[in-house]
Formats: sequence, structure tokens, C-alpha cells
Amino acid sequence: MGDQDLSKESGAEHTITARDVVVRFGSIVALDNFSIQVPKGIVGLLGPNGAGKSTFIKTVLGLVSFESGEVRISGMDPRTDVMAIRDRVGYMPEHDCLVDTMTGLELVTYFGRLSGMTKEDSIPRSHEVLDFVGLGEERYRPTSTYSTGMKQRVKLAQAIVHDPEILFLDEPTNGMDPLGREEMLELISRIAASNKSILVSSHILQDMEKVCQHVVIINNGRAITQGPMSALLDQGRDRKRIQVRGDHQALLRFAEQLGRSYQVISVSEEFGQMTIVLVNSGPSAALLELAKAHGVQVRSYVPDKLTLEGAFIRSVKEGA
Amino acid sequence: MGLDPIGYKPWDGQRTEHGRRFLVVAESILRHKLRAKWFLAMLIIGTFLVHVMPLFILSMMPHKELEAEVMRDQMGGGLYFIFEVILVALVCSDLISEDMRSNSFILYVSRAMGVKGYLLGKWTGAMVTIGLFTLLPPLVLAIAVTATQSGSDYLGSLAVIGQTLIAGIWSAALLIPIGLAVSSLTRKRTYASVGTFMFFFGMMLVSGIFTGLSQDWSLLDPSQVLYQSHTVIYGLELTDSVNKALLGAMAFLLTVPPMALVYYRIMRKEAGK
Repeated sequence: MGDQDLSKESGAEHTITARDVVVRFGSIVALDNFSIQVPKGIVGLLGPNGAGKSTFIKTVLGLVSFESGEVRISGMDPRTDVMAIRDRVGYMPEHDCLVDTMTGLELVTYFGRLSGMTKEDSIPRSHEVLDFVGLGEERYRPTSTYSTGMKQRVKLAQAIVHDPEILFLDEPTNGMDPLGREEMLELISRIAASNKSILVSSHILQDMEKVCQHVVIINNGRAITQGPMSALLDQGRDRKRIQVRGDHQALLRFAEQLGRSYQVISVSEEFGQMTIVLVNSGPSAALLELAKAHGVQVRSYVPDKLTLEGAFIRSVKEGA
Repeated sequence: MGLDPIGYKPWDGQRTEHGRRFLVVAESILRHKLRAKWFLAMLIIGTFLVHVMPLFILSMMPHKELEAEVMRDQMGGGLYFIFEVILVALVCSDLISEDMRSNSFILYVSRAMGVKGYLLGKWTGAMVTIGLFTLLPPLVLAIAVTATQSGSDYLGSLAVIGQTLIAGIWSAALLIPIGLAVSSLTRKRTYASVGTFMFFFGMMLVSGIFTGLSQDWSLLDPSQVLYQSHTVIYGLELTDSVNKALLGAMAFLLTVPPMALVYYRIMRKEAGK
């Protein structure tokens, strides 16, 4: 299957564009003619482990050089304007990366200054962002004493302290409890409200479905699906799931007949019960008549809502 | 914890120049080290033993001017070298190793400073911190001796003060790269600290064993490299037994390859290979 672009608004403002980017590490092709367009708002960067998500982020940050292709970040080239780009980008890495000996406040202030803030600016700004992420008096404790949730908050605070235009969040809810996860997603939504591009990479697809307006699915170094979340999920608008019971031969004949009349997506049979996912935008009467004619009993007939998880698995399988 | 119902506020201040941001790293190192008890203790003891006592003795002894030879011997003594090695081992031990262990240096290099800025910041921080021992007290000593001289050749003394400035910077610059290189090879600051000390100690031992065969082997001893290079800085004559090419080669080997190693280690780490 070719790469799928669900985006219809070709004139949309894109903060990151990559065209036919190739990145190699020796004989390994990490990004293979990778093309992507990232609009403003929250964009989910999804893909299995080793798909090329981190390589793409490092390429944008100018930490990894690409062999061919073109990358533009707010109109700038990471090969020539790397410093200017890094001033405009905030990065929250996935793994533990906090300086143990510093307090949360010291750390955020320090990295704010490294991002170009003066000492006079960075101290009040650090308090402001630590208030924003919900870190109270704990900010005066060394980060080595923090829980996972606190560490995630400080990592987010250091990424936004210099008010970047583009934010890369790598597994922002990793290791957080359900309440903490909700709060982190709320924070991401609040940041996005100030007209920023936020690229979120996560394996927790329920979280992605909640906050992302746009989605990019990566596999084997290629962007296999990209577009608005609504368009991706809308692909399953007319999908229906029918469960029928009956004689094995009758079930097979029914499924065969359905395949002739409708677009059947999947058929599975277990313990005398067959589950069929099909596309049907018309009324259900004809289908129920068909079941009756074949002597099978319809146990349920419900819309089969396409979730992000389903879309992700389907894209990865089809793209493999 | 919980969230306050506050929205995200943008920041619209002026950014500092890219080229100056390494100074933030250097400043942070200095501040951090000045809070470290062991470093402070060694700095105070070393300064007192190596610089303060000679300051009183040299100032009170009758002298016409500040002599280059006196300052060379002051900054090339065994005690001076031992304390410098201890301080380099203490200061450099965690500069790279801690960042390796905590993975924090992705936060540095993803900012507008890059690997070179990061390394320059670490090096500058170490230089300034070690300079508290190798530069500041010798300068104070040199100024004190000049201020109490009986002769009128203040220009000559001023020249020696200038040479002391260079010698102080060079003292730190010669030993710090090894400290940083050892720190980049391990994730434990204790290993880095002991490793740095043992490197210099080991070089001295090997040099001592082979010097009987040829005088050239003496330059394997970093304290000898320091002493002889100070002789050059102070404009004094090297003895015939010192091979100038070998001295230059040793000075190069102690400074450039270790920094290249640190750079290589960081680049490898950054690329995640």
C-alpha cells in the first residue's frame, strides 16, 4: 500500500515539512524517503519501536544529519540554521534526563538560561512554568527525590521555559498514574491553545486520541498515514459489526454471500459464533433478510467505531 | 499536586547571543564546586601550604624585584603539582560522567549550544575553578612581592606578573583535558576521580623507572612537562637534557587528544549508537 495522506487542506500552515528525507546509520536506513507536513496544534507521532520517531525528532533538532531530501522548520533549514531552530524548539525526552544535584527550580532556570534567557528573566519565568505544570514547594527539592510524575512535570517545564514555537514531547505520560496522565494531557491542551505546534510521541493511543488534532503514523522509517484525526477515524464511519450464530456450513454460505453484496473487512468464527465487520451505509433490513434466508441467527448488529488503536494497527499492518 | 486553573503564558523577552551561552555552564560549575566541601577543603589547604606561606616569606625577605626564576620554582614545585592534580581530579570527576549517567546532556545539545558549546562550557568552568588555585594565588603572590620590592624596575616585575598569568592559565589547561577525558569514560564520579589521579601518578612512576635509561623519559612525567613548560613561559633557558620537540609533543598529547576523545564520546552518546 502506498503512503496515505488524509490531509485535504493543502493550503494549511505547516510549521514542519520534510520531503523525501533519508537518514542512514551505517547500513541501517532509519528514515526512508520520509515525507511529512506538521500543522499547528497537537500532532500525534505514532509508530512501533524503531519506526524512526526519535530519529525524525533528532533530525529536526539538527542532532542527526540527513543524506538527502529537504526539511524546513518554520521556513528554516536545520543544516544551516540549526541554532535558530533550536531556540524555537522545546524538547521533552522520554527517558530520565534530569540533573540529580539540582532542584527543580534550579534546573528549569539553568536550562532557560541555556535557551537564551537572562538570569533576571529566567528565574520568574521558571516559577511561572513550574506553577503552570503544578509543581509546588517540591521545586526546592533536588530532582533525585522526585516521583516519576514530578519528573515528567519538570521535564515539561524545562521544555517550555523559553516559550518555544514547536514542542516535541516524547512519551509525556510515561509512568504516570491515571490522574497524572489526565493532568499532563490537560497541560498539553493548554499549551496548544497558544498557537503552537506540539508533536507528541506516545504508545498510549487512548491519550493520543484525546488530545491530538492531527496524526502521523510512522513505520520502517516512512510516514505511512498522516492527516487530521477526525479524517482518520471517519474512515470507519459506515463500518458495522454483525455477530451471527448457526450451523457452520450456513455461516460460511452467509459470509460468502455478504462478501458479494458488501465490502467485508474481516470475518472470524469462534465457538459457533461468527463476527463479521463490513461496510454498510444503507439500511439494515436487506442484511437481516439475507441472514434469515441463510438460516442464521443475528445476535447483534452494531456500528464498529474505528479507534485510533484500530487505525494504527491497520496502518502498520498494511504498510508492513 | 493538582493543577491550578492557570493558562499558559508566552514569554517575549530578548534572547542572549548563542556564542555566550557556554558561560552559563561555566558559571554553574563554579557555583556548584564552591559549594562542595571536599573541593573547598583541598583548595584552602593547598592555597595555604603552596601559596600563602611563600607569600609571607618572599614578601618579607629582602628583594630588589620579582624574579622569573622564583615564580617558576613557585609554580613548578612538587606540592603545587600534587594539589593541582587532586583539585583536577575532584573538579573534573563529575563534569561529564554525571551527564552520561543521568542522560542530561540531551537537554544541553538539543539547545542552541550544541556539543562544542557544551564542551567549551565544561572546559571553561573547570578552568575557572582550577584557576582559583593555579592563577589567582600566584598572581596575588607576584603582586605582593612586587609591591614590597626595594628596586625600581617595576616594568620587569610587571612582565613577570604577566608571565605568571600565562603560567597559571597553562597549568590548568595542561591537566584539565585528562580529567575531562577520564570523566567521559565512566558514569561514576568516584571512578573518574581516582582514575584521573592514578593516570598522573602512573605516568610519574613509569617516567621514574625509565629515566635511568634516557633523560628523555623524564618528560613522561606530567610534573616535569609542567615545570619545563613554565621555564619556557618565564623566558628562562631550558637545560640541555630537555628535548624541546619531545616537550612540545608531550604538551600536545596531554591536551589535544584527550579533548578529542571527550568530543568523540559525546558525539557517540548523542547519536545513541
